[in-house]
Amino acid sequence: MSAELLNTVDLDQTLQQSSPQKILEFALEQFDNLTISFSGAEDVVLIDMATKIRPDVDVFCLDTGRLHAETYQLIEQVREHYEIEIDVVSPDGDALRKFVKDKGLFSFYDDNHQECCGVRKISPLRRKLLEVDAWVTGQRKDQSPGTRAQIPVIQEDKAFSRPNATLTKFNPLANWTSAQVWEYIRENKVPYNSLHDKGFVSIGCEPCTRPVGPNQHEREGRWWWEEATKKECGLHGSNVEK
Amino acid sequence: MKITFVKKILADGSACKKCGEVTAKMEEAGQLQHIDEIVIADERDPESAGIKLAAQYDVNRAPFFIVEEEGKETVVYTVYFKFVKQVLAGKTSEQEEIKEIMNDNPDLDFI
Repeated sequence: MSAELLNTVDLDQTLQQSSPQKILEFALEQFDNLTISFSGAEDVVLIDMATKIRPDVDVFCLDTGRLHAETYQLIEQVREHYEIEIDVVSPDGDALRKFVKDKGLFSFYDDNHQECCGVRKISPLRRKLLEVDAWVTGQRKDQSPGTRAQIPVIQEDKAFSRPNATLTKFNPLANWTSAQVWEYIRENKVPYNSLHDKGFVSIGCEPCTRPVGPNQHEREGRWWWEEATKKECGLHGSNVEK
Repeated sequence: MKITFVKKILADGSACKKCGEVTAKMEEAGQLQHIDEIVIADERDPESAGIKLAAQYDVNRAPFFIVEEEGKETVVYTVYFKFVKQVLAGKTSEQEEIKEIMNDNPDLDFI
């Protein structure tokens, strides 16, 4: 089915009450050309759930070239454990070469991480998403305090869609807490990134990730040298009648 | 083809910063001539035309563009540079598009 036939707003209201497994089941029933985004961290639970429904589910991973060795090891472990193909997507060679030549290897410590993430992560992500009709992420509400607390479980992704086509994004873990994710990992013996045993919670690129201490939010382990506040330009949901 | 440009006024009555930036870019590039209608989404007024359009098309950020063409499905663009490239056939750089997408989606770099 194509996404244009789905009313994502109504579906979100229904699916908000569903388990991640049920949401994935729905997503996989609706879309053949669907891919799961795997960051090499806790979102591995999505692969465990999805392979129980569709054993050859498409999975991709954004290899920024700066990931921890432990993350690369997990990607391999997951590939073998679930006997799946993982599309390891690299940055565009020319763009990366130019960026490193102009800015060096650690420019994010001097200005901010956006330009580097743009070249190494978001641009390849966009390229990958041009190939599919739907994608699945491990985003959760409890990862994003404040303004990002309203993550839908299904939404139309207007930023990355192809011309004259729709792209549907699923966030099956939106309503799960970190504790629920870890309960699932332990109960189902899901392979996980060994960095989690060393105090890392949110895992990204090696130079931009650090372990967090007790009572620190997981986001404090990422780009800690930058200002925490970011301004958004969203339309306040409370003012939008649906 | 009908192009509607939806801009926002914040709850405190001030203009949305990004809407201002996009308008300035469009003025500079001579793109405003392609816009058939400018509609305001006033956060102080849930009945304002722009707020209703945001609800109708399930858009949660401003500015955005609605492109209606006879015999075709209406397309909504929330990324200015994508709109410029796909509708106005303008030249945009990959870097500009990615920067805008990241600014609009602060959690994307956590993917």
